[in-house]
Amino acid sequence: MSTGSPSTQRNTFTGWLLAPGVFWMILFLVAPIMMIVYVSFWTQTTFAINSTLTLDSWKNFFSSEAYVGALWTTLRLWLIVLALTFIIGYPAALFVGLLVKSKTVSTILLVLCVIPFWTSFLIRVLAWRPMLGKEGAINIILQKLGLIDSPIEVLLFSELSVIIGMTQIYVVFMVGPIAFMLGRIDRNIIEAARDLGAGFGRIFWKIIFPLSLPGVVVGAIFVSVMVLGEFATSGALSGRKVNLLGNIIVTQVGSLKWAMASVVGVILTILLGIVVAGFLRIVDLKNEL
Amino acid sequence: MESKTLKPILAVYVAAFILFLYGPFIVLGILSFQQGPEGGPQFPIIEWSTYWYKHLFGLTPPSRIAPLPVGEALLRSLTLAFMTMVTATVLGVMAAQAFRRRFRGAGIVFYLIVLGMMVPGVLTGLGTSLLANNVVGIERHWWTTAFVTHVVYTFPFAFLVMLAILNRFDGSVEEAAWSLGVSPARTFRKVTFPLIFPGVLSAMLFAFTLSFDEFPRTLFASGRDQTLPLAIYGTFSVEIHPNIFAFGVMTTLFSFALLTVYGILMGLSVRRAKKIAMQEDIS
Amino acid sequence: MAKNESIFRLENITRRFGALTALDNISFDAPRNEYISLLGPSGSGKTSLLRVVAGFEKPDTGRIHFMGRDITDLPAHKRGIGFVFQNFALFPHLTVFENIAFGLRNGTDDVTDAEINSRAQDMVELVGLEGLEDRVPDQISGGQKQRVALARTLIMQPKLVLLDEPLGALDANLRGRMQTELRQIRERLDVTFLHVTGSETESLAMGDTVAVLDRGRIIQSGTPEQIHDTPSSPDVALFLNRFNLFDGRLSAQSFQGPFGTVPVSYVCQNPKDVYAVRYDRTKAFRKGDALPGPALPARFLASEYLGSSIISFFETADHKQVEVDHHLSFGDPDDYNVGEEYILSWDPRHAIVFGSEVAA
Repeated sequence: MSTGSPSTQRNTFTGWLLAPGVFWMILFLVAPIMMIVYVSFWTQTTFAINSTLTLDSWKNFFSSEAYVGALWTTLRLWLIVLALTFIIGYPAALFVGLLVKSKTVSTILLVLCVIPFWTSFLIRVLAWRPMLGKEGAINIILQKLGLIDSPIEVLLFSELSVIIGMTQIYVVFMVGPIAFMLGRIDRNIIEAARDLGAGFGRIFWKIIFPLSLPGVVVGAIFVSVMVLGEFATSGALSGRKVNLLGNIIVTQVGSLKWAMASVVGVILTILLGIVVAGFLRIVDLKNEL
Repeated sequence: MESKTLKPILAVYVAAFILFLYGPFIVLGILSFQQGPEGGPQFPIIEWSTYWYKHLFGLTPPSRIAPLPVGEALLRSLTLAFMTMVTATVLGVMAAQAFRRRFRGAGIVFYLIVLGMMVPGVLTGLGTSLLANNVVGIERHWWTTAFVTHVVYTFPFAFLVMLAILNRFDGSVEEAAWSLGVSPARTFRKVTFPLIFPGVLSAMLFAFTLSFDEFPRTLFASGRDQTLPLAIYGTFSVEIHPNIFAFGVMTTLFSFALLTVYGILMGLSVRRAKKIAMQEDIS
Repeated sequence: MAKNESIFRLENITRRFGALTALDNISFDAPRNEYISLLGPSGSGKTSLLRVVAGFEKPDTGRIHFMGRDITDLPAHKRGIGFVFQNFALFPHLTVFENIAFGLRNGTDDVTDAEINSRAQDMVELVGLEGLEDRVPDQISGGQKQRVALARTLIMQPKLVLLDEPLGALDANLRGRMQTELRQIRERLDVTFLHVTGSETESLAMGDTVAVLDRGRIIQSGTPEQIHDTPSSPDVALFLNRFNLFDGRLSAQSFQGPFGTVPVSYVCQNPKDVYAVRYDRTKAFRKGDALPGPALPARFLASEYLGSSIISFFETADHKQVEVDHHLSFGDPDDYNVGEEYILSWDPRHAIVFGSEVAA
């Protein structure tokens, strides 16, 4: 029967619309990641790699304290920054998304949060140096206030400065999705609960927080993906003291150790896969968004 | 009521939060007016001056501090961002348009596209470099390898923006045009596109700014010619001077100019169609 | 132009969405230059039918013929069939005038600007939108949008216009006016309207031909009088919302129902035995009155004025609601007391009986 042909035509058309994008992603996203996996088993000579398969680079990674240490540092910083962005971001999201009655004010506040993103990421990172340094703004203010006698040196070029920098840069990615979910809550539900005599704490834990959970998960995925793949913030604010997996990749590539860079790349990929899959198990995003 | 006390407390908190977001930037803005060339990138301000801005444009007498290599890098970054913007938006509009119909494998294709914004830049940058070096055997350039990774990164954003717009789009206006004997291609041009144009503008804005500021992908994939973020990154390892702060202020102003253009285009696009229709009436 | 010449013909059209069959083997022949109304409850597949005819959707099987051509495989924009949407689907970025001129301006035919403008102006006048040409759809009322939607379609001089519940988005007042207007506009042009609606009053009032759609099948088609007076099945009678329907048992020459056993002269073939009496044929009597036919005791519940008639609601012993429609031109209505029992009766010759056993 020929009646099937027009719908086949439409499917063909859908196919043509998708083909360029899908091919682009397969060629320039999937293939490169496959390549990383493949190259992680290549043989590394001093300045070159060849495609003789070997486990050497993998053995090197796990026998090196520095490399394995970078894995733990990455995990530790990721957890700390994730927790901080959530703790610092949630109250702000609560105010912007739920407590502010006027839509205009809430939009203005959100725009205010987003504006810094139109400054170069690297310059935003760099801006923390005069802020946290020994003669930086924070030390000056604290000394002027008489809170400290001598400048706090641990503020810059330490793990702390990396944590502060990352938290500030990524907290907005937590605020946005949470505020969005909170904004969708039907205020009548809260009013109804209040009429029934429920206090704010109870309303928060029974209604508000569960309804905002998808936003928390989306925010957590954003923050995790960005923090786990970081290297610039740690490079700029730790004075090379904090080495994340990303930093290892950069230095290995810099010294043409492509195989080792690939091993670290594979580990990072696996780590990301586990983290994102874990978050998606908490909340099924397809149903929520 | 507890929320009566909660709200003012949170209002103060949000004010502090915004200060936290802007703090470094304010400091950066102040220090960009540091005296030069002796003044360093820290407090106190020795003397207010616009030295570092002049330094940026090569208007100061030569000193031991080399000017930022921004001229060519800026041009490259703008070109790259423009190429990326066009490609990512076209791909995004096409893919989102395809998603208006249900098709088998839609879930897989959706995640394949979204993966582009989820995979960290170090990984796509590294992988693309490996492919270029060892499989394709080409040299890496900002307009080849870096460009494709930029599109991988920005295409998902354009796609999601367009998807959100098309989700709210009432397809019956297109059907109405077809029933008036207007071909699907012309219907897209005369009906669909004008109606989704604000979304297209947002997608373009996203793609442009993300690409312009993109750094990790470019670091691996761009070869020897630097883009703007790479030029800034180059200053990380050496001693920094307030010229980089002045530069930060300048790029921010540039971004705001871009945002203003976007806002104006947005406003115009709403009125444009009406005006055209009116002019045609008069003629 | 000769009437009753076929303008479009559906042959065994079937359309399925997964397990759901929206159109079930539909065959239909539409006469030219007529107002055809297609009556169906929601979910009966009436919108699917329109969309298949328009070419927005493809039938799984079957053929569509239009003006002597097989158009089944033709895309919508090559069919030359007009479509008026329930939500009007006006182009929000264009003025009223440009909405109307859209098809001429962007179609495949070469039409000069001068002709486009003059034809569009004619259409503006035909639907009475003078003075609103430069407004955009957001600045005009629902009724005006309706007219733009119609004018935009009619300017293309289609031989067939499909209207998908075109009055559904209007308020009751406007609906009545637009009904008359739609009929008048159609009569002035040589065009067939296929009007889909869920309202039995609308379909009977507007159609030269009425087709009743149920669960993806056309279960009856004919003139409004035919449909109204002789529904071909209890389902049609039910949609018309003008019949009291009683279940019962048909045997040889009589029907046994809640009102006792009544003699039957004519029976329509139907798998289930149903006895139908129109609301306006049903009358209420006090106990002891002389009855024209069967006796059905029922309590009075309430009544409702509908302008020219009054509908009274009764409830029988087995909690079945029965309606009595009294036209005020037949004299003043009787006063009934709420809760009191009356006897409902009718002339058995006016009843329509459906059954599996066809009486002699």
